[in-house]
Amino acid sequence: MSWRFDRPLFTLADDDMNKDTQHVWEHESLGGIAENNNPLPRPIITLLLLTYFTAMAITFPLYGQRPNGEIYADYVSLMSSTEVQKILSNKNISHEQADKQAMALIEESLAQFDSPYTFQRIQHPIGMDKLRALAPEIIELQTKGVDLREYNVIGHHLVLANFEGNLKANGEPERLQPWWDKGYTIAVWWFIVFCFAVIIVVKRLPHFSWRPDHSIAH
Amino acid sequence: MFKYLMAKESDIPQGTAAIFFGISSIAWFIIGTGIGSFNAAKLAFPDWYHGLYWLQFGHMRQVHVHAVIFGWIAMAFAASMMYITPALGNTKLWSEKLGVWNCLLYNIGLALALALLWAGITSGREYSDHVWPIDLYIAFVMVIPWSLNVWMTIINRRTQGIYTSNWFFAASMFMLIIVFLIGNLPEFFHLTGLNEAYMTWWFAHNVLGLLITPVAAAITYYIVPKITGNPLYSHRVGHLHFWSIVVFYSTPAAHHLMSSPLPEWLKSFASVEGVLILVPAIAYVCNILLTMQGKWSMFVNNVEIKFTITGVLLAIPLNMQGGFQQTRAINWYIHGTGWIVAHAHLALLGFSTFAEAAAVYYGLQVLLRRKLYSISLANFHFWTLLIGFSLYWTSMTIAGLIQGAAKIYEVPYVDVVIAEHPYMIVRWLGGTMVFLGNIVWLWNMYMTALHGDVVPAGRQPAEMAYVR
Amino acid sequence: MAFREYKIGCWMFGISLSASMFVTIFLPGLDISSVSSTELALEKQLTYGRESAFSYEDPFLQGKGKPIKVVLTKDPMNGSAMDETNAYVFEAGTPFPAGLNHTNILGEDVKALSESKGRIAEADENGTVFLVKIDDASDTPYIENATATRGWTPAKVLSASDHTIMAGSGKTMFVREGCWWCHTLLPEQTQDWQSFGRPPMLGDFNGESPTTFGSDRKAPDLLHVGARNSSREWMMLHFFNPRLVQVHSIMPRYDYLWGDKDAQGNVIDLEAWDVGYQKYVSGETPYPPEVPDYADNTEIRYLIDFVLNLK
Repeated sequence: MSWRFDRPLFTLADDDMNKDTQHVWEHESLGGIAENNNPLPRPIITLLLLTYFTAMAITFPLYGQRPNGEIYADYVSLMSSTEVQKILSNKNISHEQADKQAMALIEESLAQFDSPYTFQRIQHPIGMDKLRALAPEIIELQTKGVDLREYNVIGHHLVLANFEGNLKANGEPERLQPWWDKGYTIAVWWFIVFCFAVIIVVKRLPHFSWRPDHSIAH
Repeated sequence: MFKYLMAKESDIPQGTAAIFFGISSIAWFIIGTGIGSFNAAKLAFPDWYHGLYWLQFGHMRQVHVHAVIFGWIAMAFAASMMYITPALGNTKLWSEKLGVWNCLLYNIGLALALALLWAGITSGREYSDHVWPIDLYIAFVMVIPWSLNVWMTIINRRTQGIYTSNWFFAASMFMLIIVFLIGNLPEFFHLTGLNEAYMTWWFAHNVLGLLITPVAAAITYYIVPKITGNPLYSHRVGHLHFWSIVVFYSTPAAHHLMSSPLPEWLKSFASVEGVLILVPAIAYVCNILLTMQGKWSMFVNNVEIKFTITGVLLAIPLNMQGGFQQTRAINWYIHGTGWIVAHAHLALLGFSTFAEAAAVYYGLQVLLRRKLYSISLANFHFWTLLIGFSLYWTSMTIAGLIQGAAKIYEVPYVDVVIAEHPYMIVRWLGGTMVFLGNIVWLWNMYMTALHGDVVPAGRQPAEMAYVR
Repeated sequence: MAFREYKIGCWMFGISLSASMFVTIFLPGLDISSVSSTELALEKQLTYGRESAFSYEDPFLQGKGKPIKVVLTKDPMNGSAMDETNAYVFEAGTPFPAGLNHTNILGEDVKALSESKGRIAEADENGTVFLVKIDDASDTPYIENATATRGWTPAKVLSASDHTIMAGSGKTMFVREGCWWCHTLLPEQTQDWQSFGRPPMLGDFNGESPTTFGSDRKAPDLLHVGARNSSREWMMLHFFNPRLVQVHSIMPRYDYLWGDKDAQGNVIDLEAWDVGYQKYVSGETPYPPEVPDYADNTEIRYLIDFVLNLK
């Protein structure tokens, strides 16, 4: 039918090009990804590097992870303070205003103290309604004496987090995300191995030619 | 076709298997998009076809998905592989007879599989909906003989090196078999619970990432240099593409389940790897577009290049969406909405379909040794596909953003349904355009086979002028 | 430069693919498999049975070979009043769910309790009744084989039941009719709790197959739908023709699940019903035609039982 097998396709390369290719093959470094054999234009290499750093940055667990109960524990204790209760029971203003003012007061007082949760509180702002719903559960867990950091806020409930990895002294899994187990450690390792693999493979594979080489048995 | 089933290998003309696969793929494309258009109509006007109980949406939805994936996309891949692999190895297909049998059993198996899905006999797992006996049939009767043909052709090649397209073909077929058999383990061994849910999406992600994306790319690696006459811009970048597909695209399966209770480390890992899919994506798109240097006029005046490069250009928004929409920061908003449906169609109807359509157009012309019957109809097909797809994508993306907004503003769900109604109509119009365009395509290819101008050996169809 | 060069490529390829599967299948598999069943997971397993999709016992997805959930308010042994109890009846031939068949599904503590207090090892497929209990001391749920511990046989429990819930067969309908193409069963862990309720937690799925999370949401999430709307009449109208109760709904009609005859034995004529409905739509009649009551053991009954059982 269509392909003529008695007339092999011809290569587009002439002898000089082949010689040149062989020279490149024998002298290139880094597998030749960045040199000679039509390297990627610099802007594109930059784009690839940017991709890597973006991947790390935007998926870093600071963002998009659920808040834990501990960051609201202080809100709950401040909510029952007399100043806040006074605002909340003020009949002269509407409920929404009271809630807003009370929350503003709580946040203002929290700003007075250093807290490891300042950033997370900005990430996960809370309204008075939700705080009211959460408060009994937070208090209940506090009286039980459990670590509130092990509990995630999902909706208006505190739920034991999915994190695993470390064990507590009593053999139960610790529901905190271990530093070594954020998915990142694997990703970084994976990326390094990828770079090595590409360089080894690219360096070890033959250059490409249409021309059959009958001098070597495949 | 049937006369070749019992013929001697040497009596079967070269390219027969590819032609049968190519024609079957177009037929399945029409069936798949026709069902898709019908389903879309159901979503816009639920009572329109009332009384056709055998075309219930819940039964037809998966038939559409599997008709286009296994019928159109996979068979177009088979057609492409069965003429590109020998061409690149400067040899003939390992066994045309196996290819012809493969094509027949593929069509029979697919018809049976779709009939079972249609009847509601399903495993209840998205993308691996087929029940396990059908899974085994797909793996051992449909895919492994096809793979065998590809691998044996590459092993028996008469060139020294293996060209980029052929690495992808060989590796993708291998990965497809692995993914298919491992992804369906929950059905074979009755794995349950989160393991089952996760394996479902491991399969769904990898069947796209390790079969459809790389093979569609491999096709363009052949079509663009072949038709433009430019050598591939860089084989090293091709390596970068290949190895980053294997290493990065095979790992982010869990990002389909970001809002489910999977282990957190897995979701983080999947999320990072998901963004790193941009590495193969950038490498690939740049490689092809740089190959086009000096031949950009062909983007306008050559129909195969027009299809291919449109597909490659659509891969840019596809990958930008794909890389970022799966991170927690964006996923919470658009997960489970029409946005994802639009994204899936950008991958399958945008990027991959355009690449495959080019391969089928080119392949059938070369194999039949006949120039395309009508370039105008091919252009008409191109524009119906592109406009239909654009309407579909735009309307579904907007509908998805509406759904996302409704998710956070606690809107009663029926308000979302009302708000989405106009977009559902546009989606249906877009889908119908694609369907009608494909009917024109099949007719054009039929006329090409019968009445196309004969292309002499050693000449490209595009080089020939019409004599009519 | 000969073919041996490709051997290195093939090795690298094999290594990377294996490593990829090690990280994405083996490691998560270890994590997921180490999770104990929650009470919810035990209830779901005992309600839905072994498999809700294609299976040996039910190859055509007709809802066969599924357990029956029974609500008891009196003791099946002596008829004396007792607190409302859910019992899960596995009649002879109904296959047991994964938790009872496979190791590693229940979780260590749950399994130990189910074996010591619940005596599940004595369960056989000639008919067994199970209960889900919680051990007060350790706050751990377990499965109790009530046939062994209390002498409750399927026949006794079924005759003492207040009502039966065919949610196991109903989930098969849910899978077969493709409900999950539009209705997810997974409130997302971000905003969804506001309208759709609490997202599921790790361990809530042990032994369930298929999980049918759904991915493409064109309709409300259903994981807690029974808690939002427990009206059987509403469900009946809505399944027969969703636009009777929600004019803007795009859900298909499921009137064909009613079967041939209604609860009173009258033949159901869907075409005639639709003619009457069209008159109602065009304003010729003030009311739509009556929706027939479904007969017992129809597919729609299974499906409604399943939906209402989603609390």
